[in-house]
Amino acid sequence: MSTHSAPGTAMDSLSAALKCNIIPNQEYLLQGSVLDQYVEVLLHRLRGLCDNVDSGPESFHDHELCFTLRAANTGTPMVLPLRVRRALDVSDAPFQLRYVGQQELGDKSRPTVVRSSIDMACSSTIIDFLTELGCRLDFEYIARGYMFRKGRMKITVSKIFKMGGSKPGEGVEAISQSYLVELSVLAPSGQDAIGEDMRIFAEQLRPLVQLEKIDYKRLGNMAM
Amino acid sequence: MGVTILTQFPTENRTGPQTIDVLSKRISALGATQQGQFLVDCETYTSAPQLGHQRIVHVLHNSEQPATVFSILESGTKTIPLATDGLFDLLMMKMSSFYTSKKQTKAESKGPRFEIGDFCVKLGTVTISSNFKGILVEVEYRPCVVPAMCWDLMKEFLQGFLGLSGPTNPPAYLQNRMQEIYSPLDTVHQYLEHFTVFRKLPGIGMRP
Repeated sequence: MSTHSAPGTAMDSLSAALKCNIIPNQEYLLQGSVLDQYVEVLLHRLRGLCDNVDSGPESFHDHELCFTLRAANTGTPMVLPLRVRRALDVSDAPFQLRYVGQQELGDKSRPTVVRSSIDMACSSTIIDFLTELGCRLDFEYIARGYMFRKGRMKITVSKIFKMGGSKPGEGVEAISQSYLVELSVLAPSGQDAIGEDMRIFAEQLRPLVQLEKIDYKRLGNMAM
Repeated sequence: MGVTILTQFPTENRTGPQTIDVLSKRISALGATQQGQFLVDCETYTSAPQLGHQRIVHVLHNSEQPATVFSILESGTKTIPLATDGLFDLLMMKMSSFYTSKKQTKAESKGPRFEIGDFCVKLGTVTISSNFKGILVEVEYRPCVVPAMCWDLMKEFLQGFLGLSGPTNPPAYLQNRMQEIYSPLDTVHQYLEHFTVFRKLPGIGMRP
C-alpha cells in the first residue's frame, strides 16, 4: 500500500497564496464614455487594436445587482459592498460575485485608479444567500455591450439600462445617450507597471474617448 | 461524481487509529487500493449582533473538489447552500466584522482514501478543534447520480465491510431527495449534519 501525504487545508493554501502574492486582488481601472453616434467608430478602432481580431469582440448582456452589508447602531459605520453579475444571454454560465473596495486615486503620477477586488464564480443561489445574509439591494442595472482583450487588459464598451418590467431584460430603458467605456486589469498587488501600459493604451483611443481616473466623490458633489 | 453515503462507525473499545486500521484491513482484503488521503473541514461563523437576528454560515472544503468552497447559510427560516471559487475564504476574512468564527468549532474529517472498482471509500477521523470525536465512513458509487437507483447496492456494499454497523436506511438528509440528481453539495450537507451532532457530544476523552 502506498502512503501519500495528507492534503493541506484550504486555509493553508490560501495563506500560502496570499504570502506569495499570487492572488489577483487589485483592480487597475480607467473609465470614460462615448456618445451613441460614435460608438461604431470606437468599436472599429478597438477591433484593430485588440487581440481578438479574428473572432471579433465578445458580446455580453449582463444583469448586475449591487448589495451592501451594513451594521446598524455602531459608532463607525461598517459597510461591505458586494456585487452579483449574471449573464442573461448565456443561461448556464455561473454567476459572478465580487467585492470591490474603496478606490485609491493616488496622486498625478499614478496613471490609474486602484481598488481592491475579490472576484469569484458562484452558484445561482447567491442572490438568496446574500439577502438572507443580511445584505440590502441598493440598485441594479442591465449592461449590454462588447468586451475586448489586449494582453492582460480588458476593455468593455457597454450600454447601461435601467431595470424595468417584471423580468430582467424586459422593457428596459437606457440611462443615457452614451456608452460606458472601461479599461481594467485584475492583478496581484504591487504590479504598478501595468498602470503605465494602460495609460499608453488609453492614449491610443483619444480623442474618441477620454479614459480617466474618475473620482466618484467629486461626481457626487456635482450632482448636489 | 456519483452518489455518496456518509455513515458513522462506532469505535466501541478501540482508539481512533485502531478503528481506522481495522477498517483499512477489511477494505483492502476486499481488493481496494489506497489512493491518497482526503480532508473535509468545516468552519462555522455567527453573525454580529448589529446585523439583527442571528444567522449562521458554515463554510466547508472538500479535497475531492479542491477549487470549490461550499457554504451553507442558516437564517432561522431558510437554509441556503452556495458553491463558489476558492476566493470565498478571502471574502469571509473581509466580513470578519459581520461574521465571526468560534475557534472551538473547527471540524475536520480526514484519513485514507481507497478505490475499489466503481466505489470510492474514505475512512475519516473526525476532530472538533483537534479533539477526537469519532469515525465517519464515506462511500461513493461513481457510475450513478440518482440515490434511489443505487441505494440498495450501496447498502449491501456498506454492510459488506461495516457489518451490522452499516446503515439500514438512507441518511436523513437524502431521504426526501432520493429521486433527485446528486451533487457535491449533498455530500457537504451530510458532513455538516454529522459535524453538528459531533459538536453537541461531550468530549469522549479519547485521543486520536
